[in-house]
Amino acid sequence: MNSVATVVVLVNIVIALLLSLGGAPLLVWMERRIAGLIQDRMGPNRCHILGFRLGGIVQSFADMLKLVFKEDYISKHIKKRFIFELAPIIVFVCAFLAFMIMPLADDLVIDNTSYKMQALPINFGLLWFLALAGLSVYGIMLGGWASGNKYSILGGLRASAQMISYEAAMALSLISILLVYGNISLNEMVRYQGELIFGFIPAWGVILQPLAAIIFIVTAYAETNRAPFDMAEGESEIVGFHVEYSAMKFGLFFVGEYVAMCASSALIVVLFFGGYQIPFLNTGDLKNNLHEVLIALMILLPLITLIFLKWMQKANAWIGDDDRKKETKRLSIFFGVLVFLLVIGLLGMVIFGLSENGTNIIVALLQVVVFGIKIYIFNFIYIVVRWTLPRFRYDQIQMLGWKILLPLALANIFVTALVVVGVS
Amino acid sequence: MKTKIVPRYGKSFKDRIYLPALFAGFKVTFRHFFGNLISKNELKSRSYPEEMPDDITSRYRGLHRLTQREDGSVRCVACFMCATACPAECIFIHAKEREDGVDEKEPKIFNIDMLECVYCGSCVEACPCDAIRMDSGIFSFIGEKREDFVRTKEVLLKTPKGETCL
Repeated sequence: MNSVATVVVLVNIVIALLLSLGGAPLLVWMERRIAGLIQDRMGPNRCHILGFRLGGIVQSFADMLKLVFKEDYISKHIKKRFIFELAPIIVFVCAFLAFMIMPLADDLVIDNTSYKMQALPINFGLLWFLALAGLSVYGIMLGGWASGNKYSILGGLRASAQMISYEAAMALSLISILLVYGNISLNEMVRYQGELIFGFIPAWGVILQPLAAIIFIVTAYAETNRAPFDMAEGESEIVGFHVEYSAMKFGLFFVGEYVAMCASSALIVVLFFGGYQIPFLNTGDLKNNLHEVLIALMILLPLITLIFLKWMQKANAWIGDDDRKKETKRLSIFFGVLVFLLVIGLLGMVIFGLSENGTNIIVALLQVVVFGIKIYIFNFIYIVVRWTLPRFRYDQIQMLGWKILLPLALANIFVTALVVVGVS
Repeated sequence: MKTKIVPRYGKSFKDRIYLPALFAGFKVTFRHFFGNLISKNELKSRSYPEEMPDDITSRYRGLHRLTQREDGSVRCVACFMCATACPAECIFIHAKEREDGVDEKEPKIFNIDMLECVYCGSCVEACPCDAIRMDSGIFSFIGEKREDFVRTKEVLLKTPKGETCL
C-alpha cells in the first residue's frame, strides 16, 4: 500500500465520519428547529458561545456536554450489568458501521491507479447494510430485556417484532432493484444511475422501480425506529426500551438513532436517487465538461450566498438585541470571505487549467458534496415525516408490513423479473 | 326518528393506499415550515423576556396592591374580611386605632406571604372597602430568600396599578 492509497482511505473514513457521526449534532438541531417551525414555534435559539448562536446549533453541543457529564446511574435491580451496558454500544456501532459502505464518489483515478471512494471498500455493501440493520435490533432487544422493567421489555418486544416483519419486505424490495441493476456492488449501481433513459430522463432507481422505492423508503423508516414507526419508544404509551438508561448510555442510543437515520437516507439516495451522480452529468460528462461546471459554480456560489445572507439578516434579527446584529455581521463577513476565497480558487482552476489528477480529485470532491446534499435532503424528509404523521397502532404496523408491503414486494419481483427477461 | 348517517372513511381505494393522505399532510407541514422560515410574523410563540405579553386584561389576577384614599392614606380599615376569606391563610393583619379621624381602624401590619398565596382573588371579592386589588398586572415575582416573598403594607401600597390593564 503506497502513501496515496493510505491518504485516500483516510480521507474516505474522515468524510464518512463527518457525514454520519458529525451530522448527529446537526441533525438534532435540525429536528428541533424544523419541529418548531412546523408547529409555529421558534425552537432552540438562546444558547451561545461568545455571542455565536449559529441559529441554535450550539444548543446541541450543550446537550451533548450535559449528557457526557451527567451521573451514569445504574439501578440496583439490574442484574445483567454486562448486557445492559453492551446494548447501547451495539445500537451505536451498528448504525455507525452501516454508513461506512456508502460510495462517496466514483472511483478516484490517481496516476492510472483506481481507488474506491468507500470508507470500507467492499463490493457486497448491500448485504453488509442489511446484516447490520438486522443486528442493531439486538441492541434494542437486549437493552429492553436487561433493564428489568416491564415497559422497557414491552418496547424491546415491539421493536423486535416490527423489525422482523419489515426486514422481510425490505429485503424483497431490494431483490427487484438488484434485478434491474444486475449488480450487487453499490458503486456499480450508482454508475448505472448516471445513464439516461430515452436520452433525457436520468435512470434513477425511483424512476425504474417506483414501487420498490416506496416499499424500501417505508421499511427504512421502520428500520430506524422513527415516527410513524417508533413503536419501541412510543412516548405516550410506554416510555420505551431506554427508560432505565441515563447519561451517555442514553446518549449513545440517541446519537445512534441519528446515525442510523443518516445511514438509511444514504442508502435510499444510493439505491434510488442517483447516489453521488449529479442529474444529467455523470462522471464522464463531469470530467469532460469540468471547465463549464466550474464557471457555473463560480456564478452560482456567490448568488446563493447573497440570498442566504439576506435571509440571515432578516431571520437573525431580534427586538432590541445588538448581540444578534453583531453575530449576523461577523457571520456575513465569514461567509463572504469564504466564498470569495472559493471563487478565487475556482477562477485559478479555470484560468490555469487542471492536470488529469487534479480534474479527477475535483470531480470526486464535487460528487462528495452532491452526495452530502442529497443525504441531508432525505434527512430533512425523515424529520418532516416525523412531525407530519401520527404513530401507527401496533396491529396496523403488522398489517401494513405483512399484508400490504410483503405481497407488493413479491409481486414487484415477479413483474420486474418478467420485464428484465423479456427485454434481454 | 331521523338518523344521521356519518360517512366512514378508510375503506375506499384512495384511502387504503394512504399516499394521497400522506401528501396532504406534507402540504400542511411544508406550508407552515416554509412560511415560518421566510418570515417570523406567523409564529404563535413569544420570545418572552424580550417580548412581554400584551394580553393582560384588567381582570388578570397579578400581584396584590393596597389602594389609597384621595389624601394618600391607606383605604384598608383592618376588618379582617380578606384574611378570613383567604383559603391559603396567607394574609397577616395587625390592626391599630386610626388617629387622624378619617376612619376608626387601620392596619399596623399587612403582610401577604406570596409563597402561600394561590392567587384565587377571594380577598379582592371579600373586601368591603375596595382596599385590596390584584390589578397590578405583575405576573412574575422573584426573590432570593423566603423573606423576600412576604410583601408588607408599605410595598403593597407602593405597587402601582398595572399599565397594561385597561
